[in-house]
Amino acid sequence: MTDKTETASRLRSLLGEPLVHFVLAALAVFVAWNMVSQSRASASRTIRVSHADLERLASLYAAESGALPSKEDMLAMVNDYVRDEALAREARQLGLDQNDTIVTRRLAQKMTFMISDLADDPDPDEQTLRDWYTAHADRFTEPQAITFTHVYFSEDVRGSKAESDASAALTRLNAGADWQHVGDPFMLQRTYGDLPVREIARLFGPDFAKALAAAPASDAWFGPVRSALGLHLVRVSANMPSRVIPFDEARDAVLADWKDETRRNENEAAVQKIVGRYKVEIEGADAK
Amino acid sequence: MLKRTTALAVILLLSACGKTTTGPAAPEGAPAGEPDAAAAGRTAGYNPDRNAYFGDLHIHTRDSFDAYIFNVRATVDDAYRFAQGQTIRHPSGFDMTIAGGPLDFYTVTDHSEYLGILPAMNTPGTKLSELPRAKDMFSTDPDKILAAFQGVGASVREGVPIEEMYDLNTINTVWAAHVAAAEKYNQPGKFTTFSAYEYTSVTSDTGDGGFGGGNLHRNVFFKGTAPTQVFSTLDSTNPEDLWDWMDKQRANGLESIAIPHNSNVSDGQMFRLETYNGEPLDAAYAEQRMRNEPLVEVTQVKGTSETHPDLSPNDEWANFEIYDELLGSYNVSATHGSYVREAYRNGLKLQETEGFDPFHFGLSAASDSHVAGGAYSEADYWSKVGIVDGTPVARGSVPFPGTTSWDDQPDNQITRNAKNWFSRWSASGLTGVWAEENTREAIFDAFKRKETFATTRPRMRVRFFGGFGYADGIMDAADLAHRAYEGGVPMGGDLVGTGDAPSFIVWAQRDPNGGTLQRVQIVKVTSDGEDVIDVACDNGTPDPSTRRCTDNGASVDMASCTPVNSGASELKTLWKDPDFDPSRRVTYYVRVLENPSCRWSTWEAMRNGTPPRPDVPQTIQERAYTSPIWYIPGN
Repeated sequence: MTDKTETASRLRSLLGEPLVHFVLAALAVFVAWNMVSQSRASASRTIRVSHADLERLASLYAAESGALPSKEDMLAMVNDYVRDEALAREARQLGLDQNDTIVTRRLAQKMTFMISDLADDPDPDEQTLRDWYTAHADRFTEPQAITFTHVYFSEDVRGSKAESDASAALTRLNAGADWQHVGDPFMLQRTYGDLPVREIARLFGPDFAKALAAAPASDAWFGPVRSALGLHLVRVSANMPSRVIPFDEARDAVLADWKDETRRNENEAAVQKIVGRYKVEIEGADAK
Repeated sequence: MLKRTTALAVILLLSACGKTTTGPAAPEGAPAGEPDAAAAGRTAGYNPDRNAYFGDLHIHTRDSFDAYIFNVRATVDDAYRFAQGQTIRHPSGFDMTIAGGPLDFYTVTDHSEYLGILPAMNTPGTKLSELPRAKDMFSTDPDKILAAFQGVGASVREGVPIEEMYDLNTINTVWAAHVAAAEKYNQPGKFTTFSAYEYTSVTSDTGDGGFGGGNLHRNVFFKGTAPTQVFSTLDSTNPEDLWDWMDKQRANGLESIAIPHNSNVSDGQMFRLETYNGEPLDAAYAEQRMRNEPLVEVTQVKGTSETHPDLSPNDEWANFEIYDELLGSYNVSATHGSYVREAYRNGLKLQETEGFDPFHFGLSAASDSHVAGGAYSEADYWSKVGIVDGTPVARGSVPFPGTTSWDDQPDNQITRNAKNWFSRWSASGLTGVWAEENTREAIFDAFKRKETFATTRPRMRVRFFGGFGYADGIMDAADLAHRAYEGGVPMGGDLVGTGDAPSFIVWAQRDPNGGTLQRVQIVKVTSDGEDVIDVACDNGTPDPSTRRCTDNGASVDMASCTPVNSGASELKTLWKDPDFDPSRRVTYYVRVLENPSCRWSTWEAMRNGTPPRPDVPQTIQERAYTSPIWYIPGN
């Protein structure tokens, strides 16, 4: 079961990246090998995007989308075009277009390599992990969370009296009245434990969340505080500031994050490395 | 797996101590809202009186054959990251961030037919990429692309596999990846996912040789462990065969439900009064359908299926986001058999004449986004089919390039699609559930007992209870929700008669980050009629003779799309049916209406500096629908 799960999860990780990235990563390896083994002929290193190409891209877009491309769409398409063209040329130089067997074998080798690569993926050293943790502290931070009890005064029920009713109740609560029998029924909970401020905003609206975030823990009730739903008297019994999780506690999450992003970056870097070898000329555009 | 074992061990330990913690009922005498934090195995937000959680149960990624053709490249991971607040990219090149903050639950439901096959066909080096069809599909010739795509659509509709493309190894591997992703992102107490997929049955061929036709799609959700291979139209296009398969899975311990959607464009097939093969309905059919399909998706991007003005001529709000064109065509769907309210009525009819009700279902909502992320905002809308409707021009919310007036629009494929399809689509919807905590078990159980409500997008919350002993002062009781559960049944429940008239607790709360409320209505359905009754109003009480609220004067400043008057934050009432007849079955559900706000098409026109499209509404009233409470006469 465990083996199966692990295999499935490995496959999932693989498939989580577009398959095309395998090809790209494979290409990057082959390109490096190629560069060492032979001095490259100075084949065409210019990708020319002609008017005709631009028109073709635009009409393809219009046919597929039923709309004319905007400037942004065109830019994105040209970028994709250049990227594909650069990779395709590299592939042709490697002879990948000439013999399907080569493609198949290389892919199979690469696939095997990547699976074993994942299995034996050496963890980064301690310092790399710690640097990663420091550089991305926001990802390993628990948000500010508040434990509070509130009593609700509905303006839909009480109208303009809601505020004075709430103020009168405040005195009673601070004199020891039982909060469970004060105020109007509230559809959700009257007590929340360790609720992140973002959640408070989702449940009560942003102003209420802001007011509670600024309230120190105390036995005293305060308010009325306005939310998107009406008025509330509030007792904040704990206000935990956001906390950076200590490295040792966060280690697993740091490692997972490092791996995820490293893999994503490596794929992208492989592509960019290849694309970067080409000079791009777009007809009608200023040279850059 | 480890976690489940641990939880089981905890439960066993607790039962050994004589303290069971299972069951939805509140502990005896628990004070209102006191969190039962001490109970083991429960997550931090646990509430015996249940919390409202919001989610989208209908999301596609690049692994759906159609989404891939729409240039969608977002993955399952991207979908779950989006739902948790991270930004992802639309195929038309802009960023998408979820409106209203992260959701509580989210489910990827890619089409099971050819799941993940198109990405493989577009990957050089795979066998699939060598197929002539792959070369056509990813060629630069629009005619070839269209023909190849239509061929796949036809195969899905007809249920006849394209042999060389139907690579079950790839499909099952991609399905395993989807299951693994659902496991990876599921965080009890914080974020719930389910392994799920869409079963893509289509009827009523529109004769274009493609995918077009009447929609019998359903999404299938697994409560826990999912099978290694799923059931698609390439196994059978008959949804009853899907139910057989689900029954079989259930017998093997794999619990699931299916949720049908877009009955509005089913050409009258979704709630047809015959089986798929034209046989009369019977009790076994009803029982099997309700066992497998406790919910129906009532609103989504492709329109709202509550009711139609032709079916509900006396409902002033029936003409809401009506969309009635069959999939991929301009053919209009049959009205009868396509809408939920009529199905409720026919269900009661069948119950009274034949003794069974195949339409005893609750309500849910979703986006059906094909770009991995739903557009839950009128002000920030991106529709759902990728580059096909990724721009205001494609959606027809702004005049065609080169024109500024709606009077001189050219007649071309773009403007025709915009007029017939995309301009009429909606920024909808979300499912709300009442569950003790945000876990798979609690949320799935809520689906099963139909304690759900559907919204057209906003995260407004609605409670609805029916009972016989609710005290007069209950609406002011601090522990109202607790008493409501103790003294009656919540939405989705059957209320069995005692001879007395029941009373109903109707309670709606606005989206704290959205609009305000105008009115709350009860929709009453019997075997021979229906009634829409305002029960709580932003201003005053409903007029007892007209059963309508007085106009609260709410409107929208069309120059800025800001609301002119604000409505209520909360509306509630204890309601009794003035025409109650204890001997008749009644289906009651609640509809909550917000004040008017700008429709997405108006927002886009405003930003473009052009007048709003004249043939769609400029403002809409966002709304919520609860699952019904069914009154059943006692003996």
